[in-house]
Amino acid sequence: MKKQWRHSSFCIAVTAAALAASSAFAQSVDTARIDAGGQNDWLTYHGSYRSYHYSPLAQINAGNVANLGVAWIHIPGRSTRGLQSMPLAADGVLYYTGSYSRTFALNGATGEVIWSYFPELDEALIARQTHSPYNRGVALGEGKVFVGTMDGRLIALDAKTGKVAWDTKLIDSQKLTVGFTGAPLYAKGTVIIGAQGGEWPGRGPIFAVDAASGKKKWEFLTVAGTDEAMKTWGNDSWRTGGGGGWMPGTYDSESNTVLWGTANPAPLYDWSGADYKTQGARPGDNLYTSSVLGLDIDTGKLKFYHQELPHDAWDFDSAVGEFVMLDRDGQKYVVHPNKSGYIFVYDRNLGLKNVWRITQNSNFVKNIDAKTGELIGRRDFPAGKVAEPLCPHISGGVSWNAGSYNPKTGLYYKLGQEWCMTLEVQKTTPIVAPQAQLNIGADFKIAPPPGGEIYGHLDARDPITGAKKWEVRFPEPPLGSVLSTGGSLVFVPDSRGTVHAYDADSGTELWNHGDGTGHQGGIMSYAVNGKQYIAVVAGFGGMASDDYAPTFGGVYKSMPRDDGALVVYSLK
Amino acid sequence: MRLNWKTTAWLPLILVAPFPVSFIPARAQQPAAPAPGNEQLDVGQLFATTCGWCHSDGGRAAGKGPQLMDSKKDDDVLHNRIKNGKNGAMPAFGAMFSDAQIDEIVKYIRALKPHEG
Repeated sequence: MKKQWRHSSFCIAVTAAALAASSAFAQSVDTARIDAGGQNDWLTYHGSYRSYHYSPLAQINAGNVANLGVAWIHIPGRSTRGLQSMPLAADGVLYYTGSYSRTFALNGATGEVIWSYFPELDEALIARQTHSPYNRGVALGEGKVFVGTMDGRLIALDAKTGKVAWDTKLIDSQKLTVGFTGAPLYAKGTVIIGAQGGEWPGRGPIFAVDAASGKKKWEFLTVAGTDEAMKTWGNDSWRTGGGGGWMPGTYDSESNTVLWGTANPAPLYDWSGADYKTQGARPGDNLYTSSVLGLDIDTGKLKFYHQELPHDAWDFDSAVGEFVMLDRDGQKYVVHPNKSGYIFVYDRNLGLKNVWRITQNSNFVKNIDAKTGELIGRRDFPAGKVAEPLCPHISGGVSWNAGSYNPKTGLYYKLGQEWCMTLEVQKTTPIVAPQAQLNIGADFKIAPPPGGEIYGHLDARDPITGAKKWEVRFPEPPLGSVLSTGGSLVFVPDSRGTVHAYDADSGTELWNHGDGTGHQGGIMSYAVNGKQYIAVVAGFGGMASDDYAPTFGGVYKSMPRDDGALVVYSLK
Repeated sequence: MRLNWKTTAWLPLILVAPFPVSFIPARAQQPAAPAPGNEQLDVGQLFATTCGWCHSDGGRAAGKGPQLMDSKKDDDVLHNRIKNGKNGAMPAFGAMFSDAQIDEIVKYIRALKPHEG
C-alpha cells in the first residue's frame, strides 16, 4: 500500500512536472520552432511550415505496428457533420477542435482534459448555413491557441488555461453567410485565416491579425484584390465573385512570404460557352480565384501568384492548403495539389516548374501544359444539359485533406478520387440579401466514371515528376488526411472507418483497425515521455461524405453524421 | 417542370427591398435579366442556384440531401423543414422566404417528374 502510494505520488509529481513543462514550453511555440518541425511535436496544421504531414518518429515501425492498439479516446460531443480537424501537439499536450469550434487541450499520454473551451456562437446564423458547423483545427503560437468560428470571429485562448485572450470579429457573417471553418496559421507574430467562399457571392477575404493584441493587420481580397485583378471580372461580376481561402496555407521564412490557396469563383458553373473572356456570368480570368498566392506576411501585399485554373468553370479550386516545400538537386520546390487532381510544382516564387495528374478519370480539360500551365482543351459549357459527364465530380480529384511527403523515401503519398457527375448548366442570379446564398449555376448528380466504378486510391509518387511507385485502391474514395512516419509507415484513415498502415516502400498493408465510423479529417503523430502516439479524428458527414449513403449504401446507410471521436493509438 | 413565379415575383422584392445597394451590382452580372418587379423567377432556377447543392438533379435524385421527387413527407413537414431546417443537415430558410413562397417551393417538389428520355 505504501509502495503504491509512493508510486502514485511519484506519478503525480511527474505529471505535474510534465504539465508545468508543457505550459512553459507551450509559450515558446514560435516561428523558428514551427519552421524546424521538431521530433515529438506537431505544431501547425501541416506539421511544420514545410507541410510534409510527416513525423520523424520511428518507435512505431514496420516491425511492430501489428502491436498498435488504442491508448485512449476522447469524445468532443455535439459532432454535427462529424470531425474534420487536425490535432496539434506541443510538449505533451494535444490540442484539437470539434464542431462548433469546441476546443480542447488534453494530456497527450492519457487523454485527460486539461481545459476545454466552447465558444458562444450565433446559433441562429449557423442554422442558416450549409457548410457548417465543422471546424478544421487550431494554430499555436506565443502561448496561445487560435481558433476561427462559423460566425466570423478569430479567437485566441491562453494555452495554459483556455481563457479567452482576445476575440476579434472579422467578417459580417450575418450578411455574407460565410465564416471560418479552416484552421488558422501562426507565423512571425501574425495569425492568418481565410474565409469560406467559392459558391457564395462575396469577395473571399484572407485576414492577418496581430497574435498579441488581436488587432487586424491586413486583409487581402481574393476577388479583384488589385487593380490588375479587377480587370478580369467583366460586368462588375467581381462584386459577387466568390473566392476565399478556406484552408490554411503555410509560411516561407526564407522569403517572409505567406503561401495560400484560393477558392473558386461563383457561380460554380458558368454558362459562357467557349468565349468565357467576354460572355457568361463572370467574363474574364477571375483573378485571384483558383490561384496560389504569395503574400508579404507583414503587409499582405501580393508578391507573386499563379492562377492554376483561369476562369474556373468546374469548382476545382486551389484552396487545398498543402505547399510541400522540398529541395532536390539544389532546387527549391513547392508542390501544391489542385482540387481537379492536377498537382502543380513551383519554385519558391510560385514560378511553374511542372504539372502532373493523380486521377485516371479527368475530362474538364484535355491536359494542362506542364511548362506554361495553359489549360489545353478546356470544356466551357453553354446553358443546357452537358452531354458527356464531367470528371472529376464536384468533390474533386483530391480532397482538401492533405497527403504526406516522406523525406526518407522521397515519395509523396496522396489520395486520388475517381468519380464524375452529370450536370445541366442553368443561368442563375446571385442572391445577396437579406443574406448571401449559394450560387451554383447547375443541377448535378454524382456519376461513375465512363465504363467503370467510383473508387479511390493511395498513390506513392515522386512529388516532382509524378512517377508512380505503387498504388493501393479503395472501393470508396478515402477523404481523410495521410500520415507518413520515420518508421517507414503510411497511415490512411478511410471512409468506412478503418485506419490502415502500409509499408512506405512497398504499399503492403501491415495493420488496420476499426474506429467505428468514417474518417474525413486529420491524422498526426507525436511523442510524450518517449512514447509515440498516432492521433486520428473519426466522424463522418459534410460536403463530400454526405453523398456516400445514397451513392454506396452499405455501411454508410447507418453511419452517423453527428458523431465522432478522437482516437489515439500507441504500442501495446 | 419548372413553375414560373409569375404571380409572386418574390425573390427580386426580397433582394431589392432591404439592400438595394447590394442587389444592383449582383444583377449587373446578368444585364439580360428583367427589371425588378417584372421578373419571372422559377423554383427550378432556385434549385440550380442554391437548393441543388444538396438535392441533386433539381430535386429528382438523392445527393447530400434526400430525393424530393415522390417524397412521402406531407406538405406541412416539407414546409416546416424548408422554413426551420434540420440541425446539421439542412439550413433554415425561414428568414429568406415567406410562408407563401415556401408553399410555392413545395408545389415545385410535388410536381417533379423524371427527365424525359
